[in-house]
Amino acid sequence: MELTFYVASAIAIIATIMVITNYNMIHALLYLVVSFLAVAVVFFTLGAPFMAALEVIIYAGAIVVLIIFVIMMLNLTNEDVQQERTWLRPKTWIGPALLSLVLLGELAYLVIAEDMPTINNQPVDARQVGLALYGPYLLGVQLCGMLLMAGIVGAYHLGRQKKKVVHRFLERSEI
Amino acid sequence: MSRNDLLYLMPLLVLAGGAILNMLLVAVKRTHKIMYVLTILVHIGALLALYNIKNITAYTVYPLFILDGLAVFNLGLILLTSLAVTLLSYAYFEQREERKEEYYILLLLATLGACVLVISRHFASFFLGLEVLSVSLYSLIAYLRTRERSDEAGIKYLILAAFSSAFLLFGMALVYAVSGTMEFSGIGNYLSSSRELDTLLLTGFGLMIVGIGFKLGVVPFHMWAPDVYQGAPAPVTAFIATVSKGGMVALLIRFFSQAGGYRYPDMLLIFTIIAIASMFAGNLLALRQKNIKRLLAYSSISHLGYLLVAFLAGNKLGVEAVSFYLVAYFITSLGAFGVVTILSDKDRDADKLRDYRGLLWRRPVTAAIFIAMLLSLAGIPLTAGFVGKFYLLAAGVNTQLWLLVVMLVINSVIGLYYYIKVIAVMFAQPNAKREPRKLLHPVFYLTSGSTMMVLALLLVWVGINPNGLMQLIHGLLDTFIAAR
Repeated sequence: MELTFYVASAIAIIATIMVITNYNMIHALLYLVVSFLAVAVVFFTLGAPFMAALEVIIYAGAIVVLIIFVIMMLNLTNEDVQQERTWLRPKTWIGPALLSLVLLGELAYLVIAEDMPTINNQPVDARQVGLALYGPYLLGVQLCGMLLMAGIVGAYHLGRQKKKVVHRFLERSEI
Repeated sequence: MSRNDLLYLMPLLVLAGGAILNMLLVAVKRTHKIMYVLTILVHIGALLALYNIKNITAYTVYPLFILDGLAVFNLGLILLTSLAVTLLSYAYFEQREERKEEYYILLLLATLGACVLVISRHFASFFLGLEVLSVSLYSLIAYLRTRERSDEAGIKYLILAAFSSAFLLFGMALVYAVSGTMEFSGIGNYLSSSRELDTLLLTGFGLMIVGIGFKLGVVPFHMWAPDVYQGAPAPVTAFIATVSKGGMVALLIRFFSQAGGYRYPDMLLIFTIIAIASMFAGNLLALRQKNIKRLLAYSSISHLGYLLVAFLAGNKLGVEAVSFYLVAYFITSLGAFGVVTILSDKDRDADKLRDYRGLLWRRPVTAAIFIAMLLSLAGIPLTAGFVGKFYLLAAGVNTQLWLLVVMLVINSVIGLYYYIKVIAVMFAQPNAKREPRKLLHPVFYLTSGSTMMVLALLLVWVGINPNGLMQLIHGLLDTFIAAR
């Protein structure tokens, strides 16, 4: 049983290294998805199926896919379609696909295996997570809200487009 | 959540509610003046709520928070400091054309983060408080986006803070894996029941020291300090130098005494090395510095080194000395960065040494305040800095930390040189006539000016008659020491 944990962790580390060494953003993001999936399997083997599901749904599912869509949809011109074609060469997706396949095999094995194969032998289900978060750690959850607020207000301020007061001739020459 | 919990957490609730109120107000109408007044009122409200609970013995809001004398003292200190930063901010941001309102939301949230650090007794609240503080600071540092260095400073702080948070989190995970608890006191119980310090546990503590050391800005985790101090707007720099470090110092004291870190020579050795390295690196690097904000950054690195001397002493006197020194250091830093804030103009902060040439003849009162602050940083008698340093030495001598005490004295002498250098520049004759700056309406400068006057008076008052403050600290820390 411990082997599944180590394989998943190795995949997580490999995928993350590929994320930070890739120059192409789309390649990096694909590996990032794999990294999240691997972390989800790690959670699963450790007996936290609820966390694993959250990891897949929120990180891999919502956030990264959103980032990929935004990058792909911004400034769509004919050149970008070509660009997209080059992005989706087998060379790009074969690495993440292979790693994901290994993870899928692991997951299938874990599901098929008869006893719940966890390293510490008491799985934590959604009910326990909810009771902990909205019981003793309620104030922590509220603090997370404050944290998100700080992040959003800051991102709003910093991400605002700067008004450039540049003469249009100068602006054209910049391009 | 019982009614008592709410009562005791009221200062933090007021801060959080104030931040939300500010945000809603921005959504309705953007008015710098109203935001400013509201932020001040929120601070005053939080201070009143704190005054309400000043006589507590240790009260635990299970499992995340604890409110005791140490917490009340540091909460008050942080709230007052943040209030002073707010008061200084209005004139500074009013003359800049960017949107100013978000600044106050972020300032309140950062203060909230520091307050959470002060009262936390659990890894979860520790990390959440740290992150609230850091995330607010990322955007505060890069707030004036049109400035040349603000983006650089913001990115540097973002990457390094995130990196150090990762270290901290990994350290916490290791400590949790070994001890099976995330409460500071639980870790203390585990440690006292086991005979030797587990290697894994020591690694965990080591990784945590990286995260804590980054926030304190001590050597070897100090690389961000000069760049961030230089790039951030002057009031934010004051905030980083005071509130963000003070919150972490309070947490370090609580964590170390509750987890029983003083029993392990390894841990003490690590902190001794950090303290000595911080003193020397800070002072030596400041010697050739021509930029006031960078100079103050290096000076704050060395001051944290001094502070660690009393922290290492560890007994009651040590904690008192740390608390007293924090007050003196906060007043002084606020004053010094306040002068930088007041002298800054629309395009850039007054951070070059030549901006201060002949300041004494141009603006005698401002220069006098700045001289007082610098003398206090150097630890000259009649200022708060002197009494603070004296207290540190007393704590060090009391526990026979001779090496650290000698280092402290040597470094005070080195430090004197560059503080005096700045003062000498202010005495020099001014250059050719500059064209006078266009000033805002004098009312805008009223709050900044009076804040500076209050700070200067406090500095001298604490320096001449430190008894009142000593009694206050002594009384408040009684409950903390008893709880140990």
